[in-house]
Amino acid sequence: MINISRAKLALSSFLITSSLFAQTGKLQEEKELEVVNFNTIKQVLEKDGLSESARRKAKEVKILKKEQSKIEEKRFFYPVEQDLWGFVSEFWLVKNAQLLNWDFTKPDYGLDTSFSNLMEKLGFYQKKYKILLLNTPSLVRAALPGNNGEGIFLLSVPFIRTMDLSKLEISLLLFEDFLRLEEGYLKKSVETPKVKKLAGTSFQGKKPDLSFITELSKNYSERLMVKGFTFQQQFEITKKMDGFLKSNPELWNAYFQLLGKIDRFVKSNNQYKDYSKLYPSPEMQQKWLSPPEKVL
Amino acid sequence: MKWLLLLLPFTIQAATVSTDEKVVGIFYFNEMFGHVHQTAVKTSGSLTTIQCSHPVKVIESSKVSIPNDWAYVQVADYKGFIEKGFLSTKKPDSFQGKYLKFFDALNLDLAELYYWGRLNDQYIQGETRVK
Repeated sequence: MINISRAKLALSSFLITSSLFAQTGKLQEEKELEVVNFNTIKQVLEKDGLSESARRKAKEVKILKKEQSKIEEKRFFYPVEQDLWGFVSEFWLVKNAQLLNWDFTKPDYGLDTSFSNLMEKLGFYQKKYKILLLNTPSLVRAALPGNNGEGIFLLSVPFIRTMDLSKLEISLLLFEDFLRLEEGYLKKSVETPKVKKLAGTSFQGKKPDLSFITELSKNYSERLMVKGFTFQQQFEITKKMDGFLKSNPELWNAYFQLLGKIDRFVKSNNQYKDYSKLYPSPEMQQKWLSPPEKVL
Repeated sequence: MKWLLLLLPFTIQAATVSTDEKVVGIFYFNEMFGHVHQTAVKTSGSLTTIQCSHPVKVIESSKVSIPNDWAYVQVADYKGFIEKGFLSTKKPDSFQGKYLKFFDALNLDLAELYYWGRLNDQYIQGETRVK
């Protein structure tokens, strides 16, 4: 009895297997192999869109990694020239804070209003500036390049006080410095080949070379406190002043008289004896402004 | 119970102070370096030095009277004053952030950072009008 039922079971399982084989034409083992076959898995994944999504993800990761490395690389850059000058000027002011003595309490002289008025009268609009008053006679005046084209004007309070300069006279001095700054005399004279070479480049994987900052700072001090400006530069600036002020005789006269006042002052005051060396010279400037003498 | 009664006035006072102060918003310091001042005066003492992009809580309080161009602020645990012109609503791109490794390599000491902050207090800033 048992043997008969076993035979029936074997027959029925054979029949089922063969019917399945007939339906798909594939063996169970073959199907199992298909599951193990990665190409088929790939096809299934492709059908589901998973492979595409994985590819997209990999692409995103690649882009992100690239961006990240770009950001990381940027952190190792020397400042570009546009960002460098304002930074160096302030760096120099900070390093020489005690010598220049600019951190002191002073009254509001209203210089911003008078300087802005003069600039606007002469047609200079949308110009940003910073004025820093110094409580020392060591540096009488200077204009340093700031950020985004703005100027940093330095002015000695002991100088303007001893000379008893009016707001207009101070503004004229500042305007003269503004023209010097526009001509880029200071930049050209303090710049070193290293600045051109390094500005805006990367030092990733290397130790940063900061010697150019020290050199620039040293050159600032030398130019503004020892060497000053050349006769040629002074001549050009005086002629420019002449051109801008000529249309306004009141301003022109004020400037001409101011030069005479400075000339007499620096010649008689030992504390400011170097002024004419740094800004040669008020006397010459007056001569350059004076109309040529007629020979009869 | 006695102790509780003794503490009561202080608790009330603390509650008044905290409810009186209102955070107006978060602003960002927009100069290279600067100071949180003890009073709303440029030359007043510094509570702490902050650098560009530093977030600053601007507070409003009926108990603190300040000039129009100054803001009453909180930076970390310090409450003091900063000129409004040095604050912006958007986080500025700072030089220190842009040239991080270069700036770090300069190794500026505390006194130099202090002076850099003072520099912005001492500047007389101006701009000529648009034509």
